[in-house]
Amino acid sequence: MTTVMLKEKIENLKKQFLAEIEKIKPSEEALFELEKRYVGRKSEFISILKNLKNLTPEERRQIGELANNTKNEIFEIIKNKKTEIESGSFDAEKEKIDVTIPGKKKSVGHFNPISLVRRDIEDVFTSMGYEIADGPEIENEWYNFDALNIPKDHPARDMQDTFWLRSQTNADGTRKDADNFSMRSQTSAVQARYMEKNKPPLRIIVPGKCFRREATDTTHEHTFYQFEALIVGEDVNVGNLKFTAKEFFSAFFKQDVDVRLRPSYFPFTEPSFEFDISCTVCGGKGCKACKWAGWLELGGAGMVNQNVFVSAGYPRNKYQGFAWGFGLERLAMTRYKIDDVRLFHSGDLRFVKQF
Amino acid sequence: MKYSYNWLKELSGTKLSPEKVRELLTMHSLEIEGMEEKKWNFDGVVVGKILEIKKHPNADKLQLTKIDIGKHTSPPASPAGGQPSPYKGEGVLDIVCGAKNIAVGDKVPVATAGTKLPNGIEIKEAEIRGEKSFGMLCALDELGLGTDHSGIFILDSKAKIGEPAKKYLGVEDDTIFEIKVLPDRAHDATSHVGVAREISVLENRKFEYDFDGLKLPCVKTQNFASLRVRIEDKKLCSRYIGAVMENVEIKDSPSWMKQRLEASGIRPINNVVDATNYVMLELGQPMHAFDAEKISSKNKLQIIIRRAKDKEKLVLLDESILELNNSDLLITNGETPLALAGIMGGKDSGINENTKTIILEAANFDAVNIRRSRTRLGVKTESSDRFEKEIDPNLAEKAIVRIIEVLEHTAGAEFEGVIDIYPNKIKPCKIKLDLEYVNSLLGEIIPKKEITRILNLLGINTTIQPYKVVCTIPTFRVDLKTQEDLIEEIGRIWGYEKIKPLPLVEPVIPAKINEVLSFERKLGEIAVGFGFDEMYNYSFYSEIDTKNCALDGIHPMDYVALQQPPKAVVHGVKHFELSSPMNPDQRYVRVSLVPNILKNVKTNINIFESFNIFEIGKVYSCHPELVSGSGFRNEFGMTGTEEKRMLVMAQVLEKDKGAETFYNLKGTVQSLLENLGIGEDNILYKEKNLPKNHLTHPVRNAEIIVNNEKIGMIGEINPLTLKKYKIEKRVAVCEFDTEKLMRVAEKQKIFLPLQKFPTVIRDISMLAKGETRAIDIQNIIKKVGGNLVMKVDMFDVFKKDNQTSFAYHIEFGASERTLESREVDEVMEKVITDLEKELKVEVRK
Repeated sequence: MTTVMLKEKIENLKKQFLAEIEKIKPSEEALFELEKRYVGRKSEFISILKNLKNLTPEERRQIGELANNTKNEIFEIIKNKKTEIESGSFDAEKEKIDVTIPGKKKSVGHFNPISLVRRDIEDVFTSMGYEIADGPEIENEWYNFDALNIPKDHPARDMQDTFWLRSQTNADGTRKDADNFSMRSQTSAVQARYMEKNKPPLRIIVPGKCFRREATDTTHEHTFYQFEALIVGEDVNVGNLKFTAKEFFSAFFKQDVDVRLRPSYFPFTEPSFEFDISCTVCGGKGCKACKWAGWLELGGAGMVNQNVFVSAGYPRNKYQGFAWGFGLERLAMTRYKIDDVRLFHSGDLRFVKQF
Repeated sequence: MKYSYNWLKELSGTKLSPEKVRELLTMHSLEIEGMEEKKWNFDGVVVGKILEIKKHPNADKLQLTKIDIGKHTSPPASPAGGQPSPYKGEGVLDIVCGAKNIAVGDKVPVATAGTKLPNGIEIKEAEIRGEKSFGMLCALDELGLGTDHSGIFILDSKAKIGEPAKKYLGVEDDTIFEIKVLPDRAHDATSHVGVAREISVLENRKFEYDFDGLKLPCVKTQNFASLRVRIEDKKLCSRYIGAVMENVEIKDSPSWMKQRLEASGIRPINNVVDATNYVMLELGQPMHAFDAEKISSKNKLQIIIRRAKDKEKLVLLDESILELNNSDLLITNGETPLALAGIMGGKDSGINENTKTIILEAANFDAVNIRRSRTRLGVKTESSDRFEKEIDPNLAEKAIVRIIEVLEHTAGAEFEGVIDIYPNKIKPCKIKLDLEYVNSLLGEIIPKKEITRILNLLGINTTIQPYKVVCTIPTFRVDLKTQEDLIEEIGRIWGYEKIKPLPLVEPVIPAKINEVLSFERKLGEIAVGFGFDEMYNYSFYSEIDTKNCALDGIHPMDYVALQQPPKAVVHGVKHFELSSPMNPDQRYVRVSLVPNILKNVKTNINIFESFNIFEIGKVYSCHPELVSGSGFRNEFGMTGTEEKRMLVMAQVLEKDKGAETFYNLKGTVQSLLENLGIGEDNILYKEKNLPKNHLTHPVRNAEIIVNNEKIGMIGEINPLTLKKYKIEKRVAVCEFDTEKLMRVAEKQKIFLPLQKFPTVIRDISMLAKGETRAIDIQNIIKKVGGNLVMKVDMFDVFKKDNQTSFAYHIEFGASERTLESREVDEVMEKVITDLEKELKVEVRK
């Protein structure tokens, strides 16, 4: 056959196909038959392609291209027809549903807000290169008091203020335990423990459970959570304390927070400060939340007393450091506007499920 | 402590408003916790003279009086919003009065109609038992000038009729500061002089009060024979000054003094007692006054300071009787005790209206001993408050000089002589302050001139050396002992607000990860992800809890699995007990998280139909036998105590017809362990038969064992225990030792190639004898199938009569090829035979 005849034949096949596909009643089977007949393995089309080898390279190129294009066209048309059939057979109306009917809920639990605050604090400080340290919750007198430069006769050591543990005795009444144990009254008890094992420069935070023997009301709890920060180096100073606190609180409250130091007194720091941040509600202008002061009192801070370094085995006046201890409850209450500290330990799911 | 603004103003010479003073002190010195305006609200009260007193015709206890209040050009009272007084120009008022201490001719404060008194009473024209009354005669307390309500306040006969009482009394409006003085400043700032000095410093002015000028005249100290003083215990009493004053006229203090006492919260009594309090408030030195007549023994005036004898008794001013012991210090006249040193005076030696000669005491007592005595005896006074904070012994001299001055003025008293026993005189100490250190610690460069200026204003003398300042610390600043103390002084006066935030210079290096804490965080995340809500509980519970939960004497590693009855415990571990718990409900330190979790269940069970809760926290136990040095140390290296980190999860379902609660929680445990990368094949759930009184259900419990180590337990709570907590649903709990769990958890996940070849699933179901356990069936399937069994999934189980029906999907496959169905058939046949042979099950075909 000549190239002209071949061309004609291909075009005729195409016309024939187009005519036929218009005529047939569209169905999956009919289309399958049609496809088999026109472009299937045993179709005329394929035999044309098979015979191309008898042509000159130039003819082969021309006819080959035409045949391929035509074949692809036919495939395309059949594919489109199939899609038409599929969408025609789908009756969407029948599937209509009421989307306002409640779905099936997945139950996800809730963290206690103290945990939420604690996790945020840990994340901010970890990002600033602080290690998270911890220590025992039953502490001996040395770490809880002596090592912190708290004098023997300091009122904090009173039965009224500290949960001392009854000492263990033998059958004959002699004492078994070598130490006076108490539930730790501050996370600062970890300071000397950590410093004994690590040399400066160091920066840690210590989040944890603390205990003080005081009557509970809306703002007081005998069991509470603190987070201690301790930074020791050769020339750590008050400016560093201000910087670190400002950075931390700004990150924690996700807004620009100012810090303010006021003179205070703690045996384990000198100088000691009361630590305020600008009110997170009004930004310092004065509002109900800050009792019109513009500042929120957060806790105590100061430069580590040299006696504490000495207790931890560091030489006097070699290092400088700052420390602070803030209550997690206070931060959680400020952030979530919780008005009663007792809720944290209430075990009431109506409370926990809100966070 | 309360401070009068007027007084501070006079001492410091400040011109600042109370608000400004408050702000300055708060930012640089002391925290002002409260501020209260003290206004003398008796504007309608005038001086009146009693012209006539008659019996009230209708009331025995009342009298009719006629009072001359003089001529007024304007109404004496003009209450806001009230009616103007009808008595302008009127001179004589009829007033009904009940008090008996009045006589014709007395001058008295008269509240005219329309006056609103400080106690809130509004004076109106009234008819009392048929007699008209146009005002009220006032007692002291009704004017807000004290608590005396014994009778009408009789004024001096020289008082001018018609003069406003406020003017006559010389009362001034004031502002009261409530200042929180912390222990470091309790030595000097519990006095008006101390706070006034701060104000002067903050205003950059030299303190004008002549503190140094308060010196005893030597002459009267040396040759004074009429009083002898002996200190027997020089450790407990480092100084004793006794001064004698004669011809004392006991009377009321002048009203300016009363006002200041009242402002500071002290009740005026008489001019001598008031003077001791006044000087204490001014200078911070507690003082005492004795009636010389009552303390002289054998015609000698002598004071001996000695320890009390055991069981010695002392009757205090307030009539209470103390039983003392050898650690208490007494002021005696050689025979009888006169006062509990530094704490409170005795009843017998006190001042009364007949006192003529007084002995004034200004002394210094050991702070620690005062604190111990007052704590043990339960007597806390303004005096003990100050002494227990340790005060400067040199202050005693200043105080005695000051009180003599005051009493010469207010009691017409004459100074007779003084004895001062002061064996070890305290001298100012010196501190070398490194100027470089000041800047290094504060993080700001403060000019040398500023540093010395601040120190000098504070009363610290300075001598400059190269790079150093030698500071001479006045003895009244007991708190200043180190360079850091001085740096604090410089920093606060200079102003902490001026210190700029400075980034730390040390490089930030990645923080060491605290593995246990981050594992606990992960557990929390998983639990919350599984729908559990987090509980925070106290670390304490009651004795009843220990009994209800049968916890006493159980070793922590046994109660983890809550398995063994206490008797069988080798290491008998006891609860720690609080020495003074808040209440009996919180007496024991928890050895298990479960009791408080059960209380949480109780709290919520009537609000929520089903719920899941968890807690991550520590349990604590005491190891008596470990204390004696057997070598046990807890993770912090301590002997005698053990702390364990635990995770507890608990579940309550809406309905449970069989054991859904248990299996629900077990599913959670399985998912948890899977999430932690612990392979099912390494986990063993080992049940135990427990005694009937056990915390966990005797036959619904299992130890969770991973790689042969017990890491936790799962079980239902014993229904008998639940009954004690009034819980009427099934409760399932699981408990893990967090650190053990962490050790068996996979540290690092390793990728396994995906299954390339198709797998085949075959089902098998069977009827087994009642005692047959799922694990036995699974084990046989796995044993027979070997490598070809990829998964055994139970999809159905139910009990029928005495039998259990089990149904499983078994998934077969191989990693390197497609299995032929013949191979699978062979394995299935063998599985069936073995199950039938070994477990006598009936496989459904």
